[in-house]
Amino acid sequence: MIRFWNKRIKTGILTENTELDQELKAIRKEIKSLINKRFAGSLAIRMVDSGSCNACEAECNALSNPYYNLDRLGIYFVASPRHADVMLLSGVMTFNMTPHVLNAYKQTPEPKWVIALGDCPLAQAPFSPGFAIKAPADQYLPVTHHIPGCPPEPLAIIRGLLDFLKKL
Amino acid sequence: MRLIARYARQRATDFEIITVWDQKTEIEQLSLQQPSIKTLSKTHPAALWFERKMHDDFGIIIEDAFDNRPLVQQERFPDKIHPMLKSFQQSELEEAPFKPYKYETIRGDGVFEVSVGPIHAGIIEPGHFHFSQAGEDILHQEVRHFYKYRGIEKMLEGKSLSQAKSIISRISGNESIAYQLAWRDIQLQASGNELAQNSQKYHAMLLEMERIAHHLTDLGFIPNDAGFGAALAFCSKLAEDTRRQLKRLCGHRFGFDAVDFEAHTLDLEGFDSFLDLLEKEIAFFESWILGIPSLLDRFDTTGILKHYQALKYDVVGVMARASGVATDRRDTPFYQEHGFSIETQEGGDVSARFKLRINEVKQSIALIRKLKVSQVDKITLSDTKDGDYCAYAESSIGELFMSIKLKNGLINRFYVRDPSFINWQALHLMMPGNIIADFPLINKSCDLSYAGNDL
Ligand code: SF4
Repeated sequence: MIRFWNKRIKTGILTENTELDQELKAIRKEIKSLINKRFAGSLAIRMVDSGSCNACEAECNALSNPYYNLDRLGIYFVASPRHADVMLLSGVMTFNMTPHVLNAYKQTPEPKWVIALGDCPLAQAPFSPGFAIKAPADQYLPVTHHIPGCPPEPLAIIRGLLDFLKKL
Repeated sequence: MRLIARYARQRATDFEIITVWDQKTEIEQLSLQQPSIKTLSKTHPAALWFERKMHDDFGIIIEDAFDNRPLVQQERFPDKIHPMLKSFQQSELEEAPFKPYKYETIRGDGVFEVSVGPIHAGIIEPGHFHFSQAGEDILHQEVRHFYKYRGIEKMLEGKSLSQAKSIISRISGNESIAYQLAWRDIQLQASGNELAQNSQKYHAMLLEMERIAHHLTDLGFIPNDAGFGAALAFCSKLAEDTRRQLKRLCGHRFGFDAVDFEAHTLDLEGFDSFLDLLEKEIAFFESWILGIPSLLDRFDTTGILKHYQALKYDVVGVMARASGVATDRRDTPFYQEHGFSIETQEGGDVSARFKLRINEVKQSIALIRKLKVSQVDKITLSDTKDGDYCAYAESSIGELFMSIKLKNGLINRFYVRDPSFINWQALHLMMPGNIIADFPLINKSCDLSYAGNDL
């Protein structure tokens, strides 16, 4: 453990893009009453994969690495739709997955929002339409915001989430 | 013999059932009216999913099957639909009334069932795991997938090889380069072209970068699933460094669409120091993590896949090598010239898979140093010739098999067997004797793909 703490102290803090903190501070002020009323200062996201290639998930996981450290912005990924404000939807809405996605949406308490992550949910990324794909997702769910990319890079996801907050 | 794949193909007057072994390929012809075959699953248990899928896809009857349940077609899938038949041209499916799926369970006094998924608690892909439990102890587990079934095989029919590429690139995000390499080899066979040495090296380099990024992610998540978050912070930083380097090399963090036949000049600034740093950090990581007894206590003897089980289930990739089965598609003269030798471990447990990944990262770093090129030449492809082609690649999970039949220059049948399709079927062997709380740890130590499996 001593070795670990030595390493820890030597490495210091790696978090980048602290300019986003400033931006978020500004947004926080702007929509303070809204975020306080609705999100109590933090935004809880439930990620739901409706048939992705897994790269969109990988980029969401990357949001917690020391460079991005999403938690510091008060944005958290939660384990259950019942704890979530936002459903972050990736993938092409497969025939087999659609009922489960709709169920997860139903389980999310009001007020709730759906954000489409990556090019899959609304535009099927490069996949051609087919019998097993039910995209675009906005036929079934009220998609409030879209974060484009294939996959959107971590920084693009953070920016997308901030844009979503501004939109509210 | 090792079973690699078993799949069907519809022709004008018959079905062909193709069984690919490591030493030979067998083809059986069936009539279109009454197609039926005998099961191989009595001697090769992993044949089961191939055959169940064949029934769902084509309606082929498995005469002496002991498991007739649908595989890909779930509870709301309409009856009597076999989407891979040429006559199936529907662009949409109507939801049918719910037909319950009968899970494999163990019954007895005090035995209960635990259902997990398809949506899981973390940021991971959907799939279902069904446990029979005696208290905390797992008695049996059934893996049930295909929630992500996108119908890729059908989708690619009627496309040219070049049109298919960006879809093939995105079948499984973590294995994109491996999929593209299989595509590349088929393209080269079909057009009768040779790859320039420097582009072969460049592609191999990308494949090792993909492996490093994926292995590092796992090396962080495995200790994290045992409650040790610091390892995840450490490795996810390194994985991010790797993705950024990959982007500098090929323009994309996952290498989507990166494998091509164009000329490239690589941006290698800072690349050597990245490799040096990675090598140092992984050595630190190894001695740090393997020096924490409470963590090893969770890893050792957890989720054992025994050597004979790995052979019996025809397991491939990391799972096989961690159980002492030396199988790796990179075991070719090209890789050997660059210093490759197959890494294996004996234990077959979480520890073995963890250590194997560390050693493979080290080996990949060494390989990349030798493979490094700064310039890649363009090759001009000739027109493709019709025929049956197949290719292999070793993804970060294991052996990938792809087969494409070209007719009139277009894909007539696309088939791919992700390493996960075989390996998922052996996952349940690791469960008995473990507690359910160790399942995430065991599952992560194998880190199989759902997307590549479900297609
Ligand atoms: S948008 Fe692209 S990266 Fe994301 S799931 Fe779809 S194919 Fe994969």
